[in-house]
Amino acid sequence: MAISLNKGGNINLSKEAPNLENVLVGLGWDARATDGQAFDLDASLFLVKEDGKVPSDAYFIFYNQKTSPEGSVEHTGDNLTGAGEGDDESIKVTLSKVPAEIQRLVIVVTIHDAEARRQSFGQVSNAFVRVVNRDNNQEVVRFDLSEDYSTETAMIFGEIYRHSGDWKFKAVGQGYAGGLRALALQHGVNVG
Amino acid sequence: MNFIRGQRAKIADLVPNGQRFTLGVTINAPGLIIDFACFGLDAQGRLSDDRYMTFFNQPTTPCGGVALATPAGDTAGFAIDLARLPATIQRLTVTAAIDGAGTMSRIASGHIRFVDGGSETGRFAFTGSDFAQERALMLLEIYRKDGVWRACALGQGFNGGLDALVGHFGGTLAEPPTPAPAVPPAPPAPQAPPVNLSKVTLEKKGNSVSLAKKGNAEHGEIVVNLNWTAAEGKKGFFGFGNKRTDLDIGCLFELRTGDKSAVQALGDTFGDYFNLPYIGLDADDRSGTRTEGENLRINGQHWDKIRRVLVYAFIYEGAPNWAEANALITIKTPGQPEIEVRLDSHRNDRPMCAIALLENQDGAVKITKLVEYYRGHMDMDQAHRWGLDWVKGRKD
Repeated sequence: MAISLNKGGNINLSKEAPNLENVLVGLGWDARATDGQAFDLDASLFLVKEDGKVPSDAYFIFYNQKTSPEGSVEHTGDNLTGAGEGDDESIKVTLSKVPAEIQRLVIVVTIHDAEARRQSFGQVSNAFVRVVNRDNNQEVVRFDLSEDYSTETAMIFGEIYRHSGDWKFKAVGQGYAGGLRALALQHGVNVG
Repeated sequence: MNFIRGQRAKIADLVPNGQRFTLGVTINAPGLIIDFACFGLDAQGRLSDDRYMTFFNQPTTPCGGVALATPAGDTAGFAIDLARLPATIQRLTVTAAIDGAGTMSRIASGHIRFVDGGSETGRFAFTGSDFAQERALMLLEIYRKDGVWRACALGQGFNGGLDALVGHFGGTLAEPPTPAPAVPPAPPAPQAPPVNLSKVTLEKKGNSVSLAKKGNAEHGEIVVNLNWTAAEGKKGFFGFGNKRTDLDIGCLFELRTGDKSAVQALGDTFGDYFNLPYIGLDADDRSGTRTEGENLRINGQHWDKIRRVLVYAFIYEGAPNWAEANALITIKTPGQPEIEVRLDSHRNDRPMCAIALLENQDGAVKITKLVEYYRGHMDMDQAHRWGLDWVKGRKD
């Protein structure tokens, strides 16, 4: 039985799912039910150090850079298999491969071209993030964001982070204006 | 507070008691006829109980939690009392749908606002640039979340219009909903007007159409025509049959100067087309047999002197029997589509029917269909805050 977190809540992944190694981070939202320009939502992940910055631009995983240099994180795009049912985008993480200097994996979703399309997360229904143990397809934790957003165009859905030798997951639900660019800059990526 | 599309807020942060407030809706869109409704939906977002669709034909929900009520200055509105809603109603969605041709991209300006005790506490404003081919919109949603009522400014809609909207709410339709096009939609084919191609028929009350502004506010002759037929040979069992129904047309007017009065056959106040008030009544059809009916003519060359005109029909003699009178009102303005109103939602206990309100809106003639039945002139006057003194009159 998966744990459902509220905004700000966290769980110890290492305790909930002992020996958790192969993780799938699934992200979903409802497609637009109404007419008009589609919502194009993108999931991305930042591997950041203690100071909250990426070691290099190579640790910003997004639609144009789908894997980290050492292969610990892989963006699967929209092609889902197995446990990904219901996810719109997903990111695979192999926890033991995450470099020691990386303290946190920050999972974000941004609305592509939000300003031009005058869209915001308030228009997106039933957004969620969940962590699945790929070894047994069990969902470990889920965070439904449904009421934790409004006019933002970029959201930190959650983060997986090291804590006293364990891996924990935190339901963040923090929104930002400025889309992916603003989030990338915040996490130390050199955005051209 | 000012909402932008997608913004959410707790109702308690908008109105102090968090339960009772009024929603005012206004859309200024020249040439568009827009109907407003409030859908009371279940947890699945479905209209599982038709009685919770509040609109012109159904002015209140059974519980009284939603009722038609237009705040001063708005086109339409709803009085909301959340505490009265049954637990099955999880969501209220206020919608706007175009009746006839056109798309929401033609909206000049519009808003939905929270009014609490006469003062505005929140507003979601939108314009046509927020939309493309949509013909029906969900404007605002009020919903329960973890026991707390919240609001969300939606501003999203459907190209398929009211059919698609009702389909979205799980409603069953007489006709299949228009499928929403997946890729850049072609402009929707204009809907066939119900009467004929040159006419705009205001079928339901609350519809309004603003005729395009003309240079120097000149509109030519605006003719309001009443045509009705008296049924033949209906002798009443109780002796009422001899008294024939006499249906009259008239209007209340208010000038820019603040002067106001009525033009009607009763009391011989036929008005004057060429002098103030520039509104004249040309005939009194007392039997319903005059084929051209009765005409109320407004001199559009002097429209700038007129603030508003409330057109009404009333049954002067005989038992009110609207169905028998079969009255048809047409409003003609040169160079504009003819507007037709059939008095078909009858209140036979009330002899007075306010038909349409013509307002001077920045020089344009804005016409709103009313079809509101009253006990008499005084009630109607009060409902529209005209402020005339009324004494009983007679026709000679």
